[in-house]
Amino acid sequence: MYRKQVRRRRAVLALLIISSFALLTFTYGQGSGGLQRTVSAAFSPLQVVADRALKPARDLINWFDQTFDARGENKRLEAELETARAQAVAGKEALHENAQLRNLLALDRGPVLAVSAYEPVTGRVIARSPNVWYSTVTIDLGGGDGVRVNDPVVADGALAGRVSAVSGGSSQVMLLTDHASAVSAKVVPQGGQGVVRPDVGDPEDLILDFIDSTKRVGMGDTVVTSGWRVEGYESLFPPGLPIGEVTQASVVEQEASQQVHLRPYADLRNLDLVQVLTGGSRG
Amino acid sequence: MIVTPRILARLVAISVGGVLIQLSFFSRVELFHVSPDMLPALVIVLGLLGGTTTGAVVGFSVGLLVDCLLVEALGATSLVLLGAGYLAGLFRERFEIHSSLVPPLLCMGLTLFCELGLAVVQLLLGVDAPVSALLVRDILLKSLYAFFLGWPIYLGVRRALRPALVEEPKVRRRRQPTVLGT
Repeated sequence: MYRKQVRRRRAVLALLIISSFALLTFTYGQGSGGLQRTVSAAFSPLQVVADRALKPARDLINWFDQTFDARGENKRLEAELETARAQAVAGKEALHENAQLRNLLALDRGPVLAVSAYEPVTGRVIARSPNVWYSTVTIDLGGGDGVRVNDPVVADGALAGRVSAVSGGSSQVMLLTDHASAVSAKVVPQGGQGVVRPDVGDPEDLILDFIDSTKRVGMGDTVVTSGWRVEGYESLFPPGLPIGEVTQASVVEQEASQQVHLRPYADLRNLDLVQVLTGGSRG
Repeated sequence: MIVTPRILARLVAISVGGVLIQLSFFSRVELFHVSPDMLPALVIVLGLLGGTTTGAVVGFSVGLLVDCLLVEALGATSLVLLGAGYLAGLFRERFEIHSSLVPPLLCMGLTLFCELGLAVVQLLLGVDAPVSALLVRDILLKSLYAFFLGWPIYLGVRRALRPALVEEPKVRRRRQPTVLGT
């Protein structure tokens, strides 16, 4: 009797392990589309309710964490503010000059216009992946709101990621910190190009990889989407969308690994409201 | 554990509720830059109370639900959670240790197993990005948080499934008899 029970338990375990491997084998990289979309759509209303009900408790805990963090961040922000003031003055002059030159050359399309060609739709984050390997969030916008796969997603005025799956009333957003994320980007004002990739496990660090080692990148430089277009193919992201600020740019790392580190402008750890840029091209 | 339809409904409600609380609450709060993960602890507690089969089946189901809701690679979370649930059940069946420290310690140890297991699965599947050393901090802190989550989850789940539990450890303190007139 006991042996029979043990055999049955082992059979159940073996069946479950084989099922897991079968699911991994058959769906990895392709997704099981239908099943996942159906389950996601069915649970979406429950997730919205859970998100709203648990928000006060979530805010309370995050308040403690952020207060603890803010003490150390104050000095750094003061220094940054000083630098930013100086840059703003120089920037105003440059903007004025730029506008004059554009008028002279009759240029009517630029990065700003490229972004404005999209229609932003605001949504709320209702769920988040529990492990660092998948940096994805679920938002309460779906196909009915005009959201499509690969639409860019912005938060705090900067790129946060792109839509990776859409169901009726909700969508999955793959954040910049997801291991599968890669965004073509450039450094301004130097103009060096590269690909922004995550540093898995560290949500406050991104890597601008494959940069041209002859063009020096400095700390504090801004990284924006490059928004390329080649022979009918187009980047998923419009050009000029801010991504982050360079935080580590040692000459050795630039020459040896052709990479620099940056901090994303969007607070990817505490996303609450996001904007999906709908209506653009999807690559 | 005697699984009647009513107990099965409770198991489903506990699992679905746990997944919703994890995705809407625990995944979105941070303590020292790390979010707690209560799902391994929930599966471990169910394995500890229900045995190997319950632990493995609940672990597989919870993992599948998470992967479906987040549109992630199906099977990865199921694989590690079913392992954790099975091991917790095995502990219950092999060892007769009745201590209030067992659930939190087991939750801590097996959460570590889950996090390491998930890392191994992901690395085997291929990660196209550099991996930060901070991942170690993430794994260790998640295990520590599981220690603190383990006991309240154990108490709550045991209360919800009390009618189905075959044997419960009854450890009562003996009161010393009062001797009068000495």
